[in-house]
Amino acid sequence: MIRLIRRRLAVALPVLLATSFGMFLLGAASPIDPALQYAGGAVSTASEENLAQIRANWGVDDPLPIQYLRWLTNLIGGDLGWSTSRHQPVGDVIAARAGWTLLLIGLTLLVVLLTSLLLGTIAAYRRGGLLDRGLRAAAYAVESMPVFWLALAAIAVLALALGWFPAGGLTDITATTTTLSDVAHHLALPVTVLAISQAPWFLLFVRDAVAESLLEDHVLAARARGLRGRTVLFGHALRTALLPFLTLIGTHLPELVGGSVLVETVFSLPGLGAVSVQAALGSDFPLLAAITLITTAVVLAANLLTDIAYTAADPRVRVDG
Amino acid sequence: MNALLRVEDLSVRFRLRDAVVQAVTDLNLSVRRGELLAVVGESGCGKSVLAHALLGLLPANATTTGHAFLDDIDLVHCGEKKLAREVRGRRIGLVPQSPATALTPVRTGRTLLAETLREHGRDAALATAIAADAGLDDTDLDRYPFQLSGGMAQRLVTALALASDPPLLIADEPTTGLDRPLVDHTLDVLRRRCDNGDAVLLITHDLAAAERVADTVAVMYASRIVEHRPAASVFKTAAHPYTAALLDALPDRAFQAIPGHPPMLTALPAGCAYAPRCPRADQQCATPPTGPVACHHPLVTS
Amino acid sequence: MDKRDVTPAAVIGLAVAACLLVPVIWPLDQSAVALDNISQAPSLTDPGGTDDLGRDVLHRSLYGLRVSLLVGVVAALVATVLGGLIGGVAGLLGGWTDRILMRVIDTIAALPHLLLGIFIVAMLRPSLGAVVLSVALTHWLSTARIVRGELLSLRTRPFIDAAITGGASRARILTRHLLPHVLPKIALATTLMVPHAVWHETALSFLGLGLPPHLASLGNMINDGQRSLLTGAWWASIVPGLVIVTVTLAIAALAARWRDRLDPRVRAELEL
Repeated sequence: MIRLIRRRLAVALPVLLATSFGMFLLGAASPIDPALQYAGGAVSTASEENLAQIRANWGVDDPLPIQYLRWLTNLIGGDLGWSTSRHQPVGDVIAARAGWTLLLIGLTLLVVLLTSLLLGTIAAYRRGGLLDRGLRAAAYAVESMPVFWLALAAIAVLALALGWFPAGGLTDITATTTTLSDVAHHLALPVTVLAISQAPWFLLFVRDAVAESLLEDHVLAARARGLRGRTVLFGHALRTALLPFLTLIGTHLPELVGGSVLVETVFSLPGLGAVSVQAALGSDFPLLAAITLITTAVVLAANLLTDIAYTAADPRVRVDG
Repeated sequence: MNALLRVEDLSVRFRLRDAVVQAVTDLNLSVRRGELLAVVGESGCGKSVLAHALLGLLPANATTTGHAFLDDIDLVHCGEKKLAREVRGRRIGLVPQSPATALTPVRTGRTLLAETLREHGRDAALATAIAADAGLDDTDLDRYPFQLSGGMAQRLVTALALASDPPLLIADEPTTGLDRPLVDHTLDVLRRRCDNGDAVLLITHDLAAAERVADTVAVMYASRIVEHRPAASVFKTAAHPYTAALLDALPDRAFQAIPGHPPMLTALPAGCAYAPRCPRADQQCATPPTGPVACHHPLVTS
Repeated sequence: MDKRDVTPAAVIGLAVAACLLVPVIWPLDQSAVALDNISQAPSLTDPGGTDDLGRDVLHRSLYGLRVSLLVGVVAALVATVLGGLIGGVAGLLGGWTDRILMRVIDTIAALPHLLLGIFIVAMLRPSLGAVVLSVALTHWLSTARIVRGELLSLRTRPFIDAAITGGASRARILTRHLLPHVLPKIALATTLMVPHAVWHETALSFLGLGLPPHLASLGNMINDGQRSLLTGAWWASIVPGLVIVTVTLAIAALAARWRDRLDPRVRAELEL
C-alpha cells in the first residue's frame, strides 16, 4: 500500500511540476502586460512611472527562471498570488468558492454512481429488452449533447416554461440567509443536468461489464445452486464487475470537473468554474494557474484514493500485497 | 419403474457463425431414486452439455429439443422461471466442471457456502460440517478462490452442490485435480447419497471411478449414447466396440489407445459415428444404429 | 454497406455538402443584423427562426458547423500526429522509455482538460489557432495509447519475427509491416476524436473563450442564445445545439460500427 502511494507520488509530483512550468511559460509568452491589467480602469490616468513601479514590485522584468522559482516557492509557501480579475488574493477567491464546486461535483458523482449501478445492472440482466435498448439509445444520444446545451434546454423547459426550478444562482434573490432547503432547490437542476450528461459513460460501462460477467462460469454456477436472481445479480455478477469500475471513477473525474465548469457558468453558481472563466476572460494568470494546478492535484489525489480502495476491495491484490 | 429423471429424445444444437454443432443427439436415459448413473466418454463428446441442458443453463445460441422429465416437470419446456425457483439447487444440484472458474473470485468459500445454505432455508452454521463431508478443512473455507489449489477448489464446489441437499445431483468431473484417496472419498460421498435414496448422475471420463461406484453406465460417443447398461455387465462384457476399446485403453487392461480421432461435432456422419475407427464396421454401418447398444455388430447380444 | 450505416452516412454527407456549398450558394454577411426582424419563431420561410439581432439562426448554424468541423478535424489531426509520435516512440523503444512515457500519459490524463484548454486560450488570447492548439494538446493521449499498444502487440507476432530473421531493415519493417496494421486503428481513433474536438471547441466558444463573438460559431450562437432564452426565444440556442448533436452523433455512430468491424471481439460461445 505504501509502495503504491510512493510510486504514484514519484510520477505525480514531477508531472505537477512540469505542468506548472508549462503554464508559467505560456503565461510568460502571453502578450498581456500584467501591470497594465493591475492598473485596470486607472490605466489611462496611471503614469509610466507608476506602471514601472508596479513592474518592479512584481519583478516582472526579472529573468524568467527567477520569476518561475519565485512563483513556485510562493505557491508552496501558500501564497497563491494576487488575482488581477477579482482584485483580491487568489487564496481568498478559492477558499470562498471551492466548497460549492466540491458540493456540486460530490452530489453529482453520488447520483451518477447510484443510478448507473442500478440501471446498468438491471439493463444487463434484461439485455436486449426494452429497458436495455431504451437506456442505451438514450445514453448514446446524451453522450453527443454538450452539457451547456443540455443545461440551457433544462432551463428553458423546467425553469422558464414550467417554473419548477429556479433558473440559476444558489439562493433566492430576496433571501438574506443561506438555508439548506433553498440551496437544495437551487442545486437540484444543476446536479441533475451534470449527472445526466456524465451518466451515459458510467451506465454503459456498468451495463457491459455486468452483461459480460453474467456469462461467466461463476455466475452460471451461482445460478445452478438455485440462488435468487437478486443474489446472483448483485452478489456475484455485479460484485466482480465492480472492481475495475472503482479505478475508472478516478480516471473519469477530469471530465466531471470540465462539466462542472460549464454547468456552473450556465446556472451562475458561485463556484470555481465560473470564476475561472472570468479569470480567463481577464487573462488572470495567477488565479487561473492556481485553480488548474489545485484541481489537478485534487484529481490526482482522488485517483490515488480509488486505487487504494481497489487494493482494499480486491482480495487478489490485497493479500498478495 | 420408479424413474426420477427420464430423458427422451433429447437433442442440443449450437448455432455458430458458420457451423452448427450437434452436441447431443436423440439421447434417452433414465435415473431411478437411489441409482448412480455414470455417463462416460472422451472429453468433447457432449457430456457437459447434457448437464447444462438439464438445468437450462445453455447459452442463447443453443436449441434444445425433446423432453427431460423430472417427476412431472419437463425441464426442456417448463421455462426459466420454474427452473430458477423450483429446479436448480432445490431438485437438481450441480457440481460444475472446472472449479477454478466456477467460484466467485472475490468471495471466500465460507461466505459462498453460508449464502447457499441460507437461501435454501438451512442453517448457515452447517457450513463446517458440509465442507468436512466434501473433504475440505474448516480453515480452508476462509481462503479466497485464487488461494485454493485445484483439489481444494474441487472439494469446495462439491460442498456447495451438497449444501442444498438435492434429490438429484449432477456431478460433472467431480474428481479432477484430486489425488487417489480424495477421489475415493468423493466417490464414497456420492455413493452414500444413493444408498440413502437420492440419485446421482456422474459425468466422468474416468472409467475406474465409474466402475467403483456406478449402478448403471451410459457410454457417450460423438453426441450419442452408444451403450446404456448395468455397470457390472458393461465392465465385464462390453457390448459396443467403442466401450470395449475404451476399456482396453485402461492402464490395468491392455493399455492400448484407440486409433484415430473422434469426429467433429460440426460434421457428424449420417451413419454410425464410430464406424471409421471400428474394426467391425461394414456397409451396414452407413445407416444409424439404434437400441440400448447402438451397434449393428455388438460384441455380445443380450 | 450495412443498412444501419445509411442514416449516419447520409447525415455526414449532408453536413459536409452544406459546409462546402453554403458559402457559394447562400453567402452570409457575418456582421449583418436586421433589427426589424428580431426573435422570430421558426416558420416555413425561416425554419431556424431569428435571434435577438434578427439574424437567421439556421443560416448561421450552417456557417457555425463549417467552423466547428474545421476546428474539430484539424485539431484531431494535430492530436493524432502528436499522439502517434509519442506512442510510436514508446512502442518501438519499449523498456524504460515506454514505462516512463506511459506513466506520464496516465498522469496527464488526470489533468482536467477543459480547464487546461481555458488556460491555454486565455494566455494566448482567444483565436482559432489557440482553440486548435488547446484541443490538440488535451486529446492526443488516447492515440498515443493505441499506437503504443498496437506496436507492442505486433512486436510479438510471428510475421514480424519472420521479417526480422528474413533480414528486413528497420525502416522496411516499419513501413511495410507495422504501419499497415496500425494505420486503420489510428484513422479510427482520429475519427472518434472529431466529435470530442467539436464539443471542446463549442464549449470554449460558449464560454466566450473561442472564436471572436461576431463570428457565427455553434458555441458562440448557443452563448448568444442565452439572452433570447429569457424572452422565450428558445430556438436561438436550441437549433445550433441540435446541429451539433445530429452531426456528432452521426460521426460517433459510424465510427462505433467501424470499430466493431475492425475488432470483432470473438467470444468462444461454446464449451463442450
